[in-house]
Amino acid sequence: MSAREPLHELSIAEAGARLRAGTLTSTALTQHALNRVAALDPVLNAFLLVTKERALADAERADRELKSGIDKGPMHGIPHALKDIYETAGIRTTCHSKLMLDHVPKEDGTAAAKLAAGGAVLLGKLATHEFAIGGPSFDLPFPPARNPWNRDHFSGGSSSGSGAAVASGMVRTAMGSDTGGSIRSPAAYCGIVGLKPTYGRVSRRGVFPLSYTLDHCGPLSWSVEDAALTMQVVSGHDPLDPASADVPVPDFAAELGSDLAGLRLAYPRSFFVGVDGISPEVIAGVDQAVQYLARLGATVAEIKLPDFELFNACGRVILTAEAYTVHEENLIKRGGDYARLTYQRMMPGAMVSAADLIQALRMRRELHDAVARVLETHDAIVTVNALAPAIRLDAFPADATLRTPGHTIPFNVTGHPALAVPTGFAKSGLPIGLQIVGRPFDEPTVLRIGAAYESVAQWTAKRPQLELKMAG
Amino acid sequence: MSTEDRRALEQEFDALTARIGAIVPADRKAGVVACCEELRRMTALVHGPRSPAVEPANIYSLKPTRARS
Repeated sequence: MSAREPLHELSIAEAGARLRAGTLTSTALTQHALNRVAALDPVLNAFLLVTKERALADAERADRELKSGIDKGPMHGIPHALKDIYETAGIRTTCHSKLMLDHVPKEDGTAAAKLAAGGAVLLGKLATHEFAIGGPSFDLPFPPARNPWNRDHFSGGSSSGSGAAVASGMVRTAMGSDTGGSIRSPAAYCGIVGLKPTYGRVSRRGVFPLSYTLDHCGPLSWSVEDAALTMQVVSGHDPLDPASADVPVPDFAAELGSDLAGLRLAYPRSFFVGVDGISPEVIAGVDQAVQYLARLGATVAEIKLPDFELFNACGRVILTAEAYTVHEENLIKRGGDYARLTYQRMMPGAMVSAADLIQALRMRRELHDAVARVLETHDAIVTVNALAPAIRLDAFPADATLRTPGHTIPFNVTGHPALAVPTGFAKSGLPIGLQIVGRPFDEPTVLRIGAAYESVAQWTAKRPQLELKMAG
Repeated sequence: MSTEDRRALEQEFDALTARIGAIVPADRKAGVVACCEELRRMTALVHGPRSPAVEPANIYSLKPTRARS
Protein backbone atom coordinates (compact mmCIF):
# COMPACT_ATOMS: atom_id res chain seq x y z
CA MET A 1 0.00 0.00 0.00
CA SER A 2 1.57 3.29 -1.09
CA ALA A 3 1.16 6.46 0.94
CA ARG A 4 -0.46 8.09 -2.10
CA GLU A 5 -2.81 5.24 -3.01
CA PRO A 6 -6.33 6.61 -3.63
CA LEU A 7 -7.92 4.49 -0.92
CA HIS A 8 -11.19 6.42 -1.18
CA GLU A 9 -11.70 4.78 -4.58
CA LEU A 10 -11.89 1.33 -2.98
CA SER A 11 -15.46 0.12 -2.69
CA ILE A 12 -16.65 -1.07 0.71
CA ALA A 13 -16.36 -4.68 -0.53
CA GLU A 14 -12.84 -4.11 -1.93
CA ALA A 15 -11.65 -2.37 1.22
CA GLY A 16 -13.25 -5.10 3.33
CA ALA A 17 -11.49 -7.84 1.37
CA ARG A 18 -8.13 -6.12 1.85
CA LEU A 19 -8.77 -5.53 5.56
CA ARG A 20 -9.44 -9.24 5.96
CA ALA A 21 -6.45 -10.24 3.84
CA GLY A 22 -4.18 -8.03 5.94
CA THR A 23 -3.06 -5.85 3.00
CA LEU A 24 -4.80 -2.76 4.36
CA THR A 25 -5.54 -1.49 7.85
CA SER A 26 -8.63 0.36 8.97
CA THR A 27 -6.27 2.87 10.56
CA ALA A 28 -4.72 3.69 7.17
CA LEU A 29 -8.14 3.83 5.51
CA THR A 30 -9.47 6.09 8.26
CA GLN A 31 -6.42 8.37 8.25
CA HIS A 32 -6.78 8.72 4.47
CA ALA A 33 -10.44 9.65 4.90
CA LEU A 34 -9.58 12.15 7.65
CA ASN A 35 -6.94 13.71 5.36
CA ARG A 36 -9.55 14.13 2.63
CA VAL A 37 -11.96 15.69 5.09
CA ALA A 38 -9.24 18.11 6.27
CA ALA A 39 -8.39 19.05 2.68
CA LEU A 40 -11.87 19.24 1.18
CA ASP A 41 -14.29 20.16 3.90
CA PRO A 42 -13.18 23.79 4.28
CA VAL A 43 -14.72 24.43 0.84
CA LEU A 44 -17.55 21.86 0.87
CA ASN A 45 -18.94 22.30 4.42
CA ALA A 46 -20.12 18.70 4.50
CA PHE A 47 -19.14 18.10 8.14
CA LEU A 48 -20.47 19.90 11.20
CA LEU A 49 -18.20 17.91 13.48
CA VAL A 50 -15.23 15.63 12.77
CA THR A 51 -14.75 12.97 15.46
CA LYS A 52 -11.09 12.33 14.69
CA GLU A 53 -10.04 10.73 17.99
CA ARG A 54 -13.11 8.51 18.07
CA ALA A 55 -12.52 7.49 14.44
CA LEU A 56 -8.91 6.53 15.00
CA ALA A 57 -9.81 4.63 18.17
CA ASP A 58 -12.61 2.79 16.29
CA ALA A 59 -10.17 1.99 13.48
CA GLU A 60 -7.48 0.66 15.81
CA ARG A 61 -10.07 -1.53 17.52
CA ALA A 62 -11.28 -2.83 14.15
CA ASP A 63 -7.70 -3.68 13.17
CA ARG A 64 -7.17 -5.61 16.40
CA GLU A 65 -10.46 -7.46 16.01
CA LEU A 66 -9.97 -8.39 12.37
CA LYS A 67 -6.41 -9.54 13.11
CA SER A 68 -7.72 -11.83 15.83
CA GLY A 69 -10.41 -13.27 13.58
CA ILE A 70 -13.38 -11.30 14.87
CA ASP A 71 -15.48 -10.28 11.85
CA LYS A 72 -18.43 -8.01 12.55
CA GLY A 73 -19.71 -7.81 8.99
CA PRO A 74 -19.39 -5.75 5.82
CA MET A 75 -18.83 -2.36 7.47
CA HIS A 76 -16.19 -3.58 9.93
CA GLY A 77 -13.32 -1.08 9.76
CA ILE A 78 -15.04 1.07 7.11
CA PRO A 79 -15.30 4.86 7.66
CA HIS A 80 -18.75 6.44 7.46
CA ALA A 81 -20.56 9.53 8.70
CA LEU A 82 -24.04 10.40 9.94
CA LYS A 83 -26.41 13.22 9.10
CA ASP A 84 -26.53 15.38 12.21
CA ILE A 85 -30.06 14.38 13.11
CA TYR A 86 -28.81 10.90 14.13
CA GLU A 87 -28.29 10.82 17.89
CA THR A 88 -24.80 9.73 18.93
CA ALA A 89 -23.82 8.97 22.52
CA GLY A 90 -21.49 11.64 23.88
CA ILE A 91 -21.25 13.39 20.50
CA ARG A 92 -23.04 16.68 19.86
CA THR A 93 -26.12 16.28 17.67
CA THR A 94 -27.38 19.67 16.52
CA CYS A 95 -29.86 19.10 13.68
CA HIS A 96 -27.87 22.00 12.13
CA SER A 97 -29.84 24.30 14.44
CA LYS A 98 -29.19 27.02 16.97
CA LEU A 99 -31.88 25.38 19.10
CA MET A 100 -29.84 22.18 19.53
CA LEU A 101 -26.29 23.54 19.68
CA ASP A 102 -25.60 22.10 23.14
CA HIS A 103 -27.43 18.82 22.68
CA VAL A 104 -25.22 15.85 23.54
CA PRO A 105 -27.25 12.61 23.54
CA LYS A 106 -26.70 9.98 26.19
CA GLU A 107 -27.12 7.08 23.79
CA ASP A 108 -26.90 6.18 20.13
CA GLY A 109 -30.02 5.91 18.02
CA THR A 110 -30.64 2.44 16.63
CA ALA A 111 -28.98 2.90 13.22
CA ALA A 112 -25.92 4.57 14.78
CA ALA A 113 -25.73 1.76 17.34
CA LYS A 114 -25.98 -0.91 14.64
CA LEU A 115 -23.15 0.70 12.67
CA ALA A 116 -21.02 0.89 15.82
CA ALA A 117 -21.81 -2.73 16.71
CA GLY A 118 -20.92 -3.67 13.14
CA GLY A 119 -17.45 -2.22 13.63
CA ALA A 120 -17.94 0.79 11.33
CA VAL A 121 -15.72 3.81 11.94
CA LEU A 122 -17.60 7.05 12.64
CA LEU A 123 -15.80 10.04 11.07
CA GLY A 124 -18.30 12.64 12.25
CA LYS A 125 -21.61 14.40 11.86
CA LEU A 126 -22.84 15.87 8.61
CA ALA A 127 -24.60 19.03 7.52
CA THR A 128 -28.34 18.95 6.94
CA HIS A 129 -31.03 21.47 6.27
CA GLU A 130 -32.11 22.66 9.70
CA PHE A 131 -34.28 19.91 11.25
CA ALA A 132 -34.18 18.26 7.79
CA ILE A 133 -36.37 20.98 6.26
CA GLY A 134 -34.96 24.50 6.45
CA GLY A 135 -32.39 25.03 3.79
CA PRO A 136 -30.19 25.89 2.18
CA SER A 137 -29.86 28.60 4.82
CA PHE A 138 -27.16 31.14 5.60
CA ASP A 139 -28.67 32.31 8.92
CA LEU A 140 -27.65 29.24 10.92
CA PRO A 141 -24.64 28.49 13.12
CA PHE A 142 -23.12 26.43 10.27
CA PRO A 143 -22.96 27.16 6.54
CA PRO A 144 -24.80 24.95 4.01
CA ALA A 145 -22.94 22.14 2.26
CA ARG A 146 -21.76 22.78 -1.30
CA ASN A 147 -21.90 20.58 -4.37
CA PRO A 148 -18.54 18.90 -5.12
CA TRP A 149 -19.22 19.12 -8.87
CA ASN A 150 -19.53 22.89 -8.68
CA ARG A 151 -19.19 24.57 -5.32
CA ASP A 152 -21.44 27.48 -6.31
CA HIS A 153 -24.31 25.02 -6.48
CA PHE A 154 -26.63 23.35 -4.01
CA SER A 155 -25.80 19.78 -2.96
CA GLY A 156 -29.47 18.89 -2.51
CA GLY A 157 -31.25 18.39 0.72
CA SER A 158 -31.94 17.84 3.35
CA SER A 159 -29.14 15.25 3.57
CA SER A 160 -26.88 17.89 2.03
CA GLY A 161 -23.69 16.99 3.90
CA SER A 162 -24.18 13.26 3.25
CA GLY A 163 -24.39 13.96 -0.50
CA ALA A 164 -21.33 16.21 -0.53
CA ALA A 165 -19.23 13.92 1.68
CA VAL A 166 -19.88 10.82 -0.46
CA ALA A 167 -19.55 12.55 -3.84
CA SER A 168 -16.22 14.07 -2.83
CA GLY A 169 -14.87 10.74 -1.64
CA MET A 170 -14.55 11.67 2.02
CA VAL A 171 -16.60 8.55 2.84
CA ARG A 172 -18.03 5.78 0.65
CA THR A 173 -21.32 5.82 2.52
CA ALA A 174 -23.23 8.10 4.86
CA MET A 175 -26.62 7.87 6.49
CA GLY A 176 -29.33 10.33 5.57
CA SER A 177 -33.05 10.65 6.04
CA ASP A 178 -35.84 11.10 3.51
CA THR A 179 -39.23 12.65 4.28
CA GLY A 180 -40.03 14.09 0.86
CA GLY A 181 -36.87 13.22 -1.06
CA SER A 182 -34.03 14.15 1.28
CA ILE A 183 -31.89 11.11 0.41
CA ARG A 184 -32.77 10.96 -3.28
CA SER A 185 -32.42 14.69 -4.02
CA PRO A 186 -28.79 14.99 -2.82
CA ALA A 187 -28.03 11.68 -4.53
CA ALA A 188 -29.33 13.11 -7.83
CA TYR A 189 -27.58 16.47 -7.48
CA CYS A 190 -24.28 14.93 -6.36
CA GLY A 191 -24.15 12.02 -8.83
CA ILE A 192 -24.27 9.24 -6.26
CA VAL A 193 -26.63 6.46 -5.16
CA GLY A 194 -29.27 6.93 -2.46
CA LEU A 195 -31.76 4.44 -1.10
CA LYS A 196 -34.97 5.38 0.64
CA PRO A 197 -35.90 1.96 1.97
CA THR A 198 -39.43 0.73 2.60
CA TYR A 199 -41.14 2.53 5.49
CA GLY A 200 -40.34 0.43 8.56
CA ARG A 201 -37.22 -1.26 7.16
CA VAL A 202 -34.65 0.89 9.01
CA SER A 203 -35.37 2.08 12.54
CA ARG A 204 -36.02 5.78 13.05
CA ARG A 205 -35.39 5.57 16.80
CA GLY A 206 -32.90 8.25 17.83
CA VAL A 207 -33.24 10.15 14.56
CA PHE A 208 -34.83 13.55 15.10
CA PRO A 209 -38.30 13.40 13.53
CA LEU A 210 -39.56 15.72 10.84
CA SER A 211 -42.77 13.89 9.95
CA TYR A 212 -43.66 10.74 11.86
CA THR A 213 -45.40 8.91 9.03
CA LEU A 214 -43.18 10.05 6.15
CA ASP A 215 -39.65 9.81 7.64
CA HIS A 216 -37.37 7.10 6.28
CA CYS A 217 -33.69 6.44 7.15
CA GLY A 218 -31.25 5.13 4.57
CA PRO A 219 -27.82 5.41 2.99
CA LEU A 220 -26.26 7.72 0.41
CA SER A 221 -23.38 5.82 -1.14
CA TRP A 222 -20.85 5.93 -3.96
CA SER A 223 -22.24 2.80 -5.64
CA VAL A 224 -25.26 0.51 -5.48
CA GLU A 225 -23.14 -2.19 -3.85
CA ASP A 226 -21.95 0.25 -1.16
CA ALA A 227 -25.60 1.11 -0.44
CA ALA A 228 -26.54 -2.58 -0.24
CA LEU A 229 -23.75 -3.32 2.23
CA THR A 230 -24.71 -0.35 4.39
CA MET A 231 -28.33 -1.53 4.38
CA GLN A 232 -27.17 -4.94 5.60
CA VAL A 233 -25.90 -3.35 8.79
CA VAL A 234 -28.63 -0.80 9.56
CA SER A 235 -31.75 -2.82 8.70
CA GLY A 236 -33.90 -4.89 11.01
CA HIS A 237 -36.84 -4.83 13.36
CA ASP A 238 -36.59 -2.44 16.29
CA PRO A 239 -39.28 -2.85 18.95
CA LEU A 240 -38.42 0.65 20.18
CA ASP A 241 -39.56 2.24 16.88
CA PRO A 242 -43.37 1.97 16.69
CA ALA A 243 -43.22 2.00 12.87
CA SER A 244 -40.50 -0.64 12.58
CA ALA A 245 -41.60 -3.66 10.58
CA ASP A 246 -40.99 -7.14 11.94
CA VAL A 247 -39.90 -8.67 8.65
CA PRO A 248 -36.84 -10.76 7.76
CA VAL A 249 -33.72 -8.91 6.62
CA PRO A 250 -32.67 -10.21 3.19
CA ASP A 251 -29.17 -10.38 1.74
CA PHE A 252 -29.29 -6.98 0.02
CA ALA A 253 -26.29 -7.72 -2.19
CA ALA A 254 -27.38 -11.23 -3.18
CA GLU A 255 -28.90 -10.26 -6.53
CA LEU A 256 -26.28 -7.70 -7.54
CA GLY A 257 -24.62 -8.74 -10.77
CA SER A 258 -27.69 -10.59 -12.10
CA ASP A 259 -29.07 -9.56 -15.45
CA LEU A 260 -32.62 -8.32 -15.72
CA ALA A 261 -34.10 -11.20 -17.71
CA GLY A 262 -37.70 -11.80 -16.74
CA LEU A 263 -38.16 -8.52 -14.89
CA ARG A 264 -41.12 -6.32 -15.85
CA LEU A 265 -40.57 -2.61 -15.47
CA ALA A 266 -43.27 0.07 -15.50
CA TYR A 267 -42.33 3.40 -17.05
CA PRO A 268 -44.76 6.24 -16.16
CA ARG A 269 -43.36 8.71 -18.71
CA SER A 270 -46.50 10.87 -18.69
CA PHE A 271 -46.01 11.31 -14.92
CA PHE A 272 -43.13 13.73 -15.50
CA VAL A 273 -42.85 14.76 -19.16
CA GLY A 274 -44.33 18.21 -19.55
CA VAL A 275 -44.29 19.18 -15.87
CA ASP A 276 -43.09 22.68 -15.01
CA GLY A 277 -39.35 23.01 -14.61
CA ILE A 278 -38.27 19.65 -16.01
CA SER A 279 -35.03 19.70 -17.96
CA PRO A 280 -34.94 17.99 -21.38
CA GLU A 281 -31.56 16.57 -20.34
CA VAL A 282 -33.17 14.84 -17.37
CA ILE A 283 -35.91 13.36 -19.58
CA ALA A 284 -33.32 12.19 -22.12
CA GLY A 285 -31.30 10.60 -19.29
CA VAL A 286 -34.26 8.57 -18.03
CA ASP A 287 -35.32 7.59 -21.57
CA GLN A 288 -31.82 6.36 -22.33
CA ALA A 289 -31.60 4.47 -19.05
CA VAL A 290 -34.87 2.70 -19.80
CA GLN A 291 -33.42 1.61 -23.15
CA TYR A 292 -30.36 0.22 -21.35
CA LEU A 293 -32.61 -1.67 -18.93
CA ALA A 294 -34.49 -3.23 -21.83
CA ARG A 295 -31.21 -4.28 -23.42
CA LEU A 296 -30.27 -5.91 -20.12
CA GLY A 297 -33.29 -8.18 -20.45
CA ALA A 298 -36.14 -6.33 -18.75
CA THR A 299 -39.52 -5.87 -20.35
CA VAL A 300 -40.55 -2.23 -20.19
CA ALA A 301 -44.16 -1.01 -20.47
CA GLU A 302 -45.40 2.56 -20.32
CA ILE A 303 -48.01 2.96 -17.61
CA LYS A 304 -49.90 5.83 -15.97
CA LEU A 305 -49.78 6.93 -12.34
CA PRO A 306 -52.12 9.43 -10.68
CA ASP A 307 -51.16 13.07 -11.24
CA PHE A 308 -48.03 14.09 -9.34
CA GLU A 309 -49.88 17.09 -7.89
CA LEU A 310 -52.15 14.73 -5.96
CA PHE A 311 -49.19 12.95 -4.35
CA ASN A 312 -47.54 16.28 -3.65
CA ALA A 313 -50.63 17.82 -2.04
CA CYS A 314 -51.21 14.72 0.08
CA GLY A 315 -47.58 14.57 1.21
CA ARG A 316 -47.20 18.29 1.91
CA VAL A 317 -50.36 18.51 4.00
CA ILE A 318 -49.24 15.56 6.13
CA LEU A 319 -45.61 16.70 6.35
CA THR A 320 -46.46 20.28 7.28
CA ALA A 321 -48.97 19.22 9.94
CA GLU A 322 -46.64 16.63 11.47
CA ALA A 323 -43.58 18.90 11.42
CA TYR A 324 -45.58 21.63 13.15
CA THR A 325 -46.66 19.09 15.77
CA VAL A 326 -43.05 18.12 16.48
CA HIS A 327 -41.93 21.76 16.81
CA GLU A 328 -45.09 23.45 18.11
CA GLU A 329 -43.74 24.67 21.45
CA ASN A 330 -40.50 26.09 20.05
CA LEU A 331 -42.23 27.64 17.03
CA ILE A 332 -44.54 29.52 19.38
CA LYS A 333 -41.95 30.50 21.99
CA ARG A 334 -38.67 30.69 20.04
CA GLY A 335 -39.68 31.25 16.44
CA GLY A 336 -36.83 33.69 15.86
CA ASP A 337 -34.25 31.02 16.75
CA TYR A 338 -35.14 28.97 13.67
CA ALA A 339 -33.69 29.82 10.28
CA ARG A 340 -35.97 31.98 8.18
CA LEU A 341 -36.73 29.15 5.72
CA THR A 342 -37.37 26.57 8.45
CA TYR A 343 -39.81 28.86 10.21
CA GLN A 344 -41.63 29.77 7.03
CA ARG A 345 -42.01 26.13 5.99
CA MET A 346 -43.12 24.85 9.41
CA MET A 347 -45.40 27.58 10.69
CA PRO A 348 -48.17 26.97 8.10
CA GLY A 349 -48.73 23.62 9.83
CA ALA A 350 -50.69 25.57 12.44
CA MET A 351 -53.28 26.29 9.73
CA VAL A 352 -53.96 22.64 8.86
CA SER A 353 -57.31 21.54 10.25
CA ALA A 354 -58.12 18.06 11.53
CA ALA A 355 -60.36 17.53 8.49
CA ASP A 356 -57.54 18.58 6.13
CA LEU A 357 -55.18 16.06 7.69
CA ILE A 358 -57.68 13.21 7.78
CA GLN A 359 -58.67 13.81 4.17
CA ALA A 360 -54.96 13.70 3.27
CA LEU A 361 -54.62 10.38 5.12
CA ARG A 362 -57.62 8.98 3.25
CA MET A 363 -56.15 10.16 -0.03
CA ARG A 364 -52.86 8.55 0.95
CA ARG A 365 -54.59 5.18 1.09
CA GLU A 366 -55.91 5.70 -2.47
CA LEU A 367 -52.53 6.77 -3.79
CA HIS A 368 -50.79 3.86 -2.11
CA ASP A 369 -53.27 1.46 -3.66
CA ALA A 370 -52.75 3.00 -7.12
CA VAL A 371 -48.98 2.39 -6.93
CA ALA A 372 -49.52 -1.07 -5.43
CA ARG A 373 -51.77 -2.01 -8.37
CA VAL A 374 -48.98 -1.13 -10.82
CA LEU A 375 -46.58 -3.28 -8.79
CA GLU A 376 -48.94 -6.26 -8.89
CA THR A 377 -48.02 -6.73 -12.54
CA HIS A 378 -44.58 -5.09 -12.63
CA ASP A 379 -41.45 -5.72 -10.56
CA ALA A 380 -40.48 -2.05 -10.35
CA ILE A 381 -41.27 1.45 -11.60
CA VAL A 382 -38.57 3.56 -13.25
CA THR A 383 -39.16 7.31 -13.09
CA VAL A 384 -37.56 10.70 -12.78
CA ASN A 385 -35.86 11.96 -9.61
CA ALA A 386 -34.84 15.66 -9.47
CA LEU A 387 -36.38 17.58 -12.37
CA ALA A 388 -33.21 19.49 -13.24
CA PRO A 389 -29.56 19.72 -12.20
CA ALA A 390 -28.71 21.50 -8.94
CA ILE A 391 -29.28 25.24 -9.00
CA ARG A 392 -26.85 27.85 -7.69
CA LEU A 393 -26.95 28.47 -3.96
CA ASP A 394 -27.35 32.19 -4.60
CA ALA A 395 -30.37 31.56 -6.84
CA PHE A 396 -32.59 30.50 -3.94
CA PRO A 397 -35.18 33.15 -3.06
CA ALA A 398 -34.96 34.76 0.37
CA ASP A 399 -38.39 33.46 1.34
CA ALA A 400 -39.52 29.86 1.49
CA THR A 401 -41.73 27.82 -0.79
CA LEU A 402 -43.20 24.40 0.03
CA ARG A 403 -42.49 23.08 -3.46
CA THR A 404 -39.28 21.18 -4.20
CA PRO A 405 -38.13 20.52 -7.77
CA GLY A 406 -38.29 16.73 -7.73
CA HIS A 407 -40.66 13.79 -8.06
CA THR A 408 -39.68 12.07 -4.85
CA ILE A 409 -42.50 12.67 -2.36
CA PRO A 410 -44.93 10.17 -3.97
CA PHE A 411 -42.96 7.28 -2.51
CA ASN A 412 -42.81 8.82 0.95
CA VAL A 413 -46.59 8.99 0.74
CA THR A 414 -46.83 5.32 -0.28
CA GLY A 415 -43.83 3.98 1.67
CA HIS A 416 -42.41 1.98 -1.26
CA PRO A 417 -38.60 1.60 -1.52
CA ALA A 418 -36.99 4.00 -4.00
CA LEU A 419 -33.40 3.98 -5.22
CA ALA A 420 -31.73 7.06 -6.73
CA VAL A 421 -29.17 6.26 -9.42
CA PRO A 422 -27.23 8.73 -11.62
CA THR A 423 -28.01 8.87 -15.35
CA GLY A 424 -25.07 11.05 -16.35
CA PHE A 425 -24.41 14.74 -16.59
CA ALA A 426 -26.05 17.85 -18.00
CA LYS A 427 -24.07 20.09 -20.37
CA SER A 428 -23.24 22.21 -17.32
CA GLY A 429 -21.29 19.23 -15.93
CA LEU A 430 -23.74 18.73 -13.08
CA PRO A 431 -25.20 15.26 -12.39
CA ILE A 432 -28.73 14.11 -13.23
CA GLY A 433 -30.53 10.92 -12.25
CA LEU A 434 -33.56 8.67 -11.94
CA GLN A 435 -35.27 6.56 -9.31
CA ILE A 436 -36.29 2.91 -9.25
CA VAL A 437 -39.31 2.10 -7.09
CA GLY A 438 -40.08 -1.40 -5.88
CA ARG A 439 -42.56 -3.46 -3.93
CA PRO A 440 -42.62 -3.13 -0.15
CA PHE A 441 -39.53 -4.76 1.41
CA ASP A 442 -38.22 -5.80 -2.01
CA GLU A 443 -35.11 -3.65 -1.88
CA PRO A 444 -33.00 -6.52 -3.34
CA THR A 445 -34.85 -6.23 -6.68
CA VAL A 446 -34.53 -2.45 -6.72
CA LEU A 447 -30.81 -2.74 -5.97
CA ARG A 448 -30.41 -5.45 -8.62
CA ILE A 449 -31.90 -3.17 -11.28
CA GLY A 450 -29.80 -0.22 -10.10
CA ALA A 451 -26.60 -2.27 -10.12
CA ALA A 452 -27.28 -3.69 -13.59
CA TYR A 453 -27.79 -0.20 -14.99
CA GLU A 454 -24.78 1.16 -13.09
CA SER A 455 -22.54 -1.58 -14.48
CA VAL A 456 -23.30 -0.68 -18.10
CA ALA A 457 -23.70 3.09 -17.74
CA GLN A 458 -20.63 3.54 -15.52
CA TRP A 459 -21.71 6.99 -14.33
CA THR A 460 -20.60 6.37 -10.77
CA ALA A 461 -17.07 5.75 -12.03
CA LYS A 462 -16.79 9.45 -12.86
CA ARG A 463 -15.93 11.62 -9.87
CA PRO A 464 -15.65 15.39 -9.41
CA GLN A 465 -12.22 16.86 -10.01
CA LEU A 466 -11.27 18.36 -6.70
CA GLU A 467 -7.85 19.91 -7.15
CA LEU A 468 -6.97 20.43 -3.57
CA LYS A 469 -3.82 19.87 -1.59
CA MET A 470 -3.96 16.64 0.32
CA ALA A 471 -1.95 16.13 3.47
CA GLY A 472 -0.07 12.85 3.91
CA MET B 1 -55.84 33.46 -4.95
CA SER B 2 -57.51 36.87 -5.18
CA THR B 3 -56.29 39.85 -3.16
CA GLU B 4 -59.38 39.57 -0.97
CA ASP B 5 -58.80 35.87 -0.33
CA ARG B 6 -55.15 36.57 0.47
CA ARG B 7 -56.16 39.28 2.93
CA ALA B 8 -58.66 36.89 4.53
CA LEU B 9 -55.98 34.22 4.81
CA GLU B 10 -53.63 36.67 6.49
CA GLN B 11 -56.36 37.69 8.96
CA GLU B 12 -57.01 34.01 9.69
CA PHE B 13 -53.28 33.50 10.31
CA ASP B 14 -53.13 36.58 12.57
CA ALA B 15 -56.12 35.37 14.60
CA LEU B 16 -54.62 31.90 14.94
CA THR B 17 -51.19 33.10 16.04
CA ALA B 18 -52.80 35.52 18.52
CA ARG B 19 -54.86 32.66 19.97
CA ILE B 20 -51.88 30.33 20.40
CA GLY B 21 -49.61 33.13 21.63
CA ALA B 22 -47.05 32.89 18.82
CA ILE B 23 -44.99 35.98 18.13
CA VAL B 24 -44.29 35.96 14.41
CA PRO B 25 -41.12 37.89 13.49
CA ALA B 26 -42.34 40.76 11.32
CA ASP B 27 -39.74 40.24 8.58
CA ARG B 28 -40.76 36.57 8.19
CA LYS B 29 -44.53 36.95 8.13
CA ALA B 30 -45.01 37.58 4.42
CA GLY B 31 -43.09 34.39 3.61
CA VAL B 32 -45.15 32.36 6.09
CA VAL B 33 -48.41 33.66 4.63
CA ALA B 34 -47.16 32.87 1.11
CA CYS B 35 -46.48 29.28 2.22
CA CYS B 36 -49.95 29.18 3.86
CA GLU B 37 -51.39 30.19 0.50
CA GLU B 38 -49.49 27.38 -1.24
CA LEU B 39 -50.65 24.93 1.39
CA ARG B 40 -54.25 26.08 1.02
CA ARG B 41 -54.08 25.30 -2.72
CA MET B 42 -52.75 21.82 -1.91
CA THR B 43 -55.34 21.30 0.81
CA ALA B 44 -58.09 21.93 -1.74
CA LEU B 45 -56.81 18.92 -3.70
CA VAL B 46 -57.11 16.52 -0.77
CA HIS B 47 -60.77 17.37 -0.16
CA GLY B 48 -62.37 15.16 -2.80
CA PRO B 49 -65.17 12.61 -2.86
CA ARG B 50 -63.88 9.26 -1.61
CA SER B 51 -65.21 5.78 -1.11
CA PRO B 52 -66.17 4.91 2.50
CA ALA B 53 -63.60 2.12 2.31
CA VAL B 54 -60.84 4.69 2.10
CA GLU B 55 -60.13 5.64 5.66
CA PRO B 56 -56.95 5.87 7.68
CA ALA B 57 -57.63 3.22 10.33
CA ASN B 58 -55.17 0.88 8.63
CA ILE B 59 -52.32 2.66 10.36
CA TYR B 60 -52.81 0.19 13.24
CA SER B 61 -51.77 -3.44 13.16
CA LEU B 62 -53.20 -4.96 16.31
CA LYS B 63 -52.62 -8.55 17.37
CA PRO B 64 -54.64 -10.31 20.07
CA THR B 65 -52.76 -10.61 23.35
CA ARG B 66 -53.62 -12.25 26.63
CA ALA B 67 -54.12 -10.27 29.81
CA ARG B 68 -51.38 -10.66 32.39
CA SER B 69 -52.42 -12.91 35.27
